[in-house]
Amino acid sequence: MTTIDPRPAPVRAVRVPRPRAGSPDPRDAELDRLRKENAALLAQERTRADELDVATRMLAARAQTMTSVIDAVTEQSIIGTDRDGVIRVWNPGAEKMLGLPRSEVVRQRSIVDFHLAEELDAQAETCGSAPGLAALVHAAHAHGSDVRDWTYVAADGQQRTVSVAVTPRTDDRGVHAGWNFVGTDMTEARATERMKDQFVSLISHELRTPLTSILGYLELVLEDEQPLTDEQRKYLTTVERNADRLLRLVGDLLFTAQVDAGRFSLEPHDVDLAGVVRAAEETARVAAATAGVRLVVDLPASGLVVPGDAVRLGQACDNLVSNAVKFTPAGGTVTLSLRSAWAAADGTVSAEGRPGASPVAQLAVTDTGMGIPTGEQGKLFTRFFRSSTAQRAAVPGVGLGLAITKAITTAHGGTLDLVSAEGAGTTFTLTLPLAAA
Amino acid sequence: MDEAVSVPVPAGAPSPVRVLVADDEDDIRALVCLAVAKAGCTATTSVADGGAALAHARAGQPDIAVLDVSMPGMTGLDVCTALRADPATAGIRILLLSAGASSDDVARGLAAGADAYLAKPFGIAALVRQVRALSAGQPA
Repeated sequence: MTTIDPRPAPVRAVRVPRPRAGSPDPRDAELDRLRKENAALLAQERTRADELDVATRMLAARAQTMTSVIDAVTEQSIIGTDRDGVIRVWNPGAEKMLGLPRSEVVRQRSIVDFHLAEELDAQAETCGSAPGLAALVHAAHAHGSDVRDWTYVAADGQQRTVSVAVTPRTDDRGVHAGWNFVGTDMTEARATERMKDQFVSLISHELRTPLTSILGYLELVLEDEQPLTDEQRKYLTTVERNADRLLRLVGDLLFTAQVDAGRFSLEPHDVDLAGVVRAAEETARVAAATAGVRLVVDLPASGLVVPGDAVRLGQACDNLVSNAVKFTPAGGTVTLSLRSAWAAADGTVSAEGRPGASPVAQLAVTDTGMGIPTGEQGKLFTRFFRSSTAQRAAVPGVGLGLAITKAITTAHGGTLDLVSAEGAGTTFTLTLPLAAA
Repeated sequence: MDEAVSVPVPAGAPSPVRVLVADDEDDIRALVCLAVAKAGCTATTSVADGGAALAHARAGQPDIAVLDVSMPGMTGLDVCTALRADPATAGIRILLLSAGASSDDVARGLAAGADAYLAKPFGIAALVRQVRALSAGQPA
């Protein structure tokens, strides 16, 4: 940094001959001019020094603000490195997470020292980069930023699962200067997720086993050659219906957990949707008759084939139809209508084909039920959400059906929409891409 | 722990289909044995763990083994793999029963060499059909 001495510049001594007495000396005027010039220069220099002082203080204040912000972050690690991965910035969050003070790290250690070598090697193999730092920043280099889980190894050898955002850093001239690594400790969160997964699959297994016994022995009793009284048969059928309900709930919970964990896979085959709709109508027929609800099915003469998982599509369709029946009072109607249509690139669907539109199958399930309040329609596909109308009317359910139906639809590349008016009824429309001809 | 159920065979009848049933849940083991009997198989041995299943299969050479997948110690998948690896037992027809119902579970079961796979809870009628098909020598 250049420093400016604010002291007045020394006036040069000028040796001038003495003037004769009585006449004005021209040298006095010259001296006067020089003095004034000197004063002006001095003033100018003082102003500049003041300005520089202000600027220096502003810069220092700004740097201080940045440092204090970074220092205030104690729950996230903020690590900055040069281009070779040598650490230059190490905030208190990094100190806390990795157990080393700034003085022992900055300019002495590499970011790679705090990573699990095997993990970096595996990443290098996956992305085809050089090992070490190159693997760590490969995605950020390619896409401008990258967020993913990495394992940090603290000074005491303890491993932490950290979600790290990697971004390249540039200097004041825009030249690549190094890398920033902002990390959030996810160790506990990830462990909780794993535990939830294990818990759900354990519960599912532990519930299925007794259900196997209940349903199996019931089947033996109900099909026994010795006839049951009508009353006995009625009681046991009730037991069977409820065991089935419990089983469906276990299945739904397990399925939801699989969707969460991203372990939900489809087995795509050609599926005739008309057959799926007919089966759903058959499944709902008894419940509809009991509730006094009329079921109307409107299918195209030729079937409609979509690529998909027949079991999952059947489940989605069953959910929509059983919901419609549940939410429709006696005397109402549930209509299942299947048709082929065309979806434009902007998502609008019409009966006529247009250039650029692709063929889709549309299943509309319309009821004349209690409807869904407008304010709740956006939350309807959220897991465990139950509409106020459902709660008021004490319609049984746990709020998983629509979330599952939505997940199945999305996995098939389709959409699920609804139109509803409170008191007038609801239409759910499931749109699926047709098999390429 | 082993519980051998042997039903006497009337003289002159065709040799009965011998079935080995393995499940650690007593109630379900009994249920499977009932279904196997309904399928017309009269010579059934039932055991409660994988190790005993493997020992019985090697000693008794059953025609069909109905194995639960999740048993403590040696699982049904382990037994299945061991039976297929040994030429003396490789020909036993194997039906796996499991509480895992995802397609991954089915794939793992079939990869271990099972002839058929039923997810719990299974219907008795479905189990009877599977055992009949296996005893007739066809995959169900």
